[in-house]
Amino acid sequence: MTLRISRRDFVKIAGATLALSSVPFSIGVASRVKSHSVSRLEVVEPREVVKTFCGMCGALCGIQVVKVNGRIGYVEPLIEHPQIGLCGRSASAIWLWDSPLRLKRPLKRVGERGEARFQEVDWDIALNEIASKLREIVAKHGHKSIAITHHDVWAYYMPLFSYLFGTPNTISHVGMCHASGTVARRHVLGAGGPPTVDPDYENVSYLLLVSRTPGTASMGVLRRLRSNRKVRIVVVDPRMPEIGLGDAEWIPIIPGTDAAFLLSLAYVIVEEKLYDEMFLKYYSNAPFLIKPDGRPLTEADLVENGDAKKYMVWDAKTKKPVDHKAKDIDPDLFYEGDVTLKDGTVVKVRTAFQLFRERCSKYKPEEASKITGIPAETIRRIARDLALYRGVVDDTWYISRNGNDYDDARAALILNVLLGNIDKPGGLCYMESPKFPSAVTVVTKEGKRYARTFYDAEMPEELFADVRVTRVDKAKYKATPATFDAVLDAILTGDPYPIRALFVIGTTITHRDMDVDKIREALKKLDLLVVIDVLPQDIVDYADYVLPDTIFLEREEFASVKWTLHGAVHLQKKITDPPKGCDARSALWVMFEIARRAFPERAEVLGWKSEYADYHKFEKFEEELVEKLFKKLADTWKIPVEALKKEVEEKGFYILKKKEYMVRPYRVALGTPSGKCEIYSLEALDLGLSPLPDYKPPPAYPLPKAEDEFYLINGKGPLISAHALLAEPMRFFEHIWRVWMNPKDAERLGIRDGDWIELESLAKPGKKVRGRVWITSMVREKVLFTYSFVGRTSKLLSEKHFAHVANGSINIAELNKAYVIPIVGGGASNTSVRVRRVG
Amino acid sequence: MTRLAHLWDMSRCIACMACVVACASANFPEHMRSTNPNPQWNWLASNIRVWWIPVNGRHRVILTQCMQCDNAPCVKACPTKASHYDAETGLITIDYKLCIGCKACVVACPYGARWIEPKSHMPNKCLATECTERIKKGLKPVCVTVCPANARDFGDLDDPESSISRRIRGSTTIKLREELGTKPRNVIVVRGG
Repeated sequence: MTLRISRRDFVKIAGATLALSSVPFSIGVASRVKSHSVSRLEVVEPREVVKTFCGMCGALCGIQVVKVNGRIGYVEPLIEHPQIGLCGRSASAIWLWDSPLRLKRPLKRVGERGEARFQEVDWDIALNEIASKLREIVAKHGHKSIAITHHDVWAYYMPLFSYLFGTPNTISHVGMCHASGTVARRHVLGAGGPPTVDPDYENVSYLLLVSRTPGTASMGVLRRLRSNRKVRIVVVDPRMPEIGLGDAEWIPIIPGTDAAFLLSLAYVIVEEKLYDEMFLKYYSNAPFLIKPDGRPLTEADLVENGDAKKYMVWDAKTKKPVDHKAKDIDPDLFYEGDVTLKDGTVVKVRTAFQLFRERCSKYKPEEASKITGIPAETIRRIARDLALYRGVVDDTWYISRNGNDYDDARAALILNVLLGNIDKPGGLCYMESPKFPSAVTVVTKEGKRYARTFYDAEMPEELFADVRVTRVDKAKYKATPATFDAVLDAILTGDPYPIRALFVIGTTITHRDMDVDKIREALKKLDLLVVIDVLPQDIVDYADYVLPDTIFLEREEFASVKWTLHGAVHLQKKITDPPKGCDARSALWVMFEIARRAFPERAEVLGWKSEYADYHKFEKFEEELVEKLFKKLADTWKIPVEALKKEVEEKGFYILKKKEYMVRPYRVALGTPSGKCEIYSLEALDLGLSPLPDYKPPPAYPLPKAEDEFYLINGKGPLISAHALLAEPMRFFEHIWRVWMNPKDAERLGIRDGDWIELESLAKPGKKVRGRVWITSMVREKVLFTYSFVGRTSKLLSEKHFAHVANGSINIAELNKAYVIPIVGGGASNTSVRVRRVG
Repeated sequence: MTRLAHLWDMSRCIACMACVVACASANFPEHMRSTNPNPQWNWLASNIRVWWIPVNGRHRVILTQCMQCDNAPCVKACPTKASHYDAETGLITIDYKLCIGCKACVVACPYGARWIEPKSHMPNKCLATECTERIKKGLKPVCVTVCPANARDFGDLDDPESSISRRIRGSTTIKLREELGTKPRNVIVVRGG
């Protein structure tokens, strides 16, 4: 069976016969169903089903699309997939395909930025004009003045786009999503982004969710969690997330106080000796000896020419400081005493564990209760249950909320270290890497450096000098994975160097980022703004050129599976062409074509041929890319490429490595400086951050005090993503388009359900918006909640198709003020407001 | 005997709306672009209804659909026998060739499980065409298949080995408005096993 067929012929063939890439969904599954349920079943017929993965949010869950009479019918979960869908977003994918809101042809701005006045132009005109403008900009300001921002769509190709356009500034959404948690994961566990460690959902006994809710993105996680019959779930959040509708226990907390709560749990666990002593001694840096200056004691402190990377612990057997990696030692977790340095000085050292214990003692449950609003007895109960059940504190995901979130995340991760529940069945586990090839790697060949793509095109070093320049966000926030706010600063101030051109691909920064007034000001200052999307996100109103992209049903992509502990890959299948009248084209083609027209040499060395300007011929290039990925993976894993292709074709996915427990940190060192779990972060210390987490009140906004002042918080949900929200079914789910208010607050202020309120930002006095209230006990007193990405104002959203735009939802970016955690780079989307009823 | 029924588990449901939207896409594709497909419920063209109910200081969500009552008021109220128990599946089914659109069934249903199609004025309810075809093919209704929270099941209550029967045995369940004598088959799990 061939893997692929010609793109444009696909639809013709699919109409006439079962598509080559579909699999009859017949006897096997039906007989499984048959044996359990309906007793009088007759003939089982084959159905036309295409296995793929969803693109309605960034999770990418396994789904299959059922075709009915040759047309796209509806979506089902792909049951065998390691990350099974689906949610309301995925079910709405059908509406997205031929949505009346769908961007259909390239648009060129004719009014002012923000007026959303455009004329349709053909692709050649749009691409040529963009290319010409880019050349002008680069001549004046260099390649590095081009920035590209994105979300999860096309994320894999971003390094390629960096080299294509010669800029380091491909900067994602991460600063407004999980950056603070990702830096914490690196510092405590030597891990990376959110999927790199995750609870072992199928086996966890007690799951504590603080700022992470598996009911939101990653529905594959929810399905895995709900296959676990014995798990107890506790969710701590100022508003009750959807998982609290069921049997999960919801504990309301004052916004921005998670660290106080988590450190209080740690206090109970430490004082009541509920921690895993052996794990702490041998697999964490808890016993490390720390000098009065806060730095770890190393061999270099004790002997001439000693190793500064040999960290010392106190051996209770020999009563001396020894290398933490020495064999047959008994590290003392509680040592405090004098040590003589090589120069004869005597210093008092204490273990990291003692310092951590001292830190936690600030948060006895009675103290933490005053800060968090959670009763002291509840804190004790949760701490004891977490320890008794050997549970897991989820490692965070969307955490860019209050400006103190990096310490929240560290405290959450350290709790798991205290319990020793790392990489064990039912614990917080490391994901197996599928070793998916990087889009671009820099290699040295015959003394020269080249940027080599995954499909083996090579760009010589003389063409990528600018790509190695410091990225604008890393110049400001040394540890950040990505902070787009720095791009806005670079546009507005020219610091550290000017950004003059911006590509916005599959993301809407007017909602994603902070302070929409700042965003609008920056957008207006650019020399060139190109938006590539499928629907009129608010950012579209500001674009010079709007280019319509394909949606996930219209393209093929081979990718690694995100939310599974196995190392797995899956294939997104092309199921249909764009609808008639919609000339959407893949962003990959768009970016290459712009580059070919602007910087032909760059495009050529990266393997792009001029014949690919013909969109049909581009198909050949795409086929080669997928073939290369298959080949590289097969070589890496030493499996026959035909076997890999066959299984991926038939099942939609391939598990390259099943999760193996008890590997990290037991047999393989972690990516931390010590190689162990770090409750006392050495990397944080080197960056100038406190090595231990602490609580401090949210720095991102003034705390609400008066009776009419509130925290305004935002969050995600199973219906929330920038483009899913514009699918027609969403308009009927009123709860996502309202501002949530607690009944007691509503009564005090004389506000009734459905009333309009005016919210004035306390962070930006004078800035006001109006919203409609939903009175619900699903939000804590003194807190208002709005979902993210609602509050749309694009002038391209017609009343007919989007009647609910006037229904009273708000964009929190209208009211928050930009705050970024120094060094870490995580943003803060929450804010505080004053409220009054207006109608 | 075959008594097919839905199970909905409120201890698992997270109101992700996958079932509501899946029902609309599978059973009522003709309404995909309608701006007001279900004016009676102010809702999508879907057979699943969502109720947000404040209970004891906490908001709960209840999802309802046709309860497949064994003593169905809608069947009794129908003057033309359009609403009847299907001989093959035992499900309450509407024969649209007999239906005169009098709406007596809509009024009779104490669960609000029927809605009027705005152009034809005919009643709709669970199970609709695609899901009926699915169960005849040995599949579950689409709402059950899509649920990510393991909050749904469907099957024969009279088969003790069916997945629904086994799940009921291991859970604490209720039925809605039994005091009306409707004998609803559909089951709500309030505490899972």
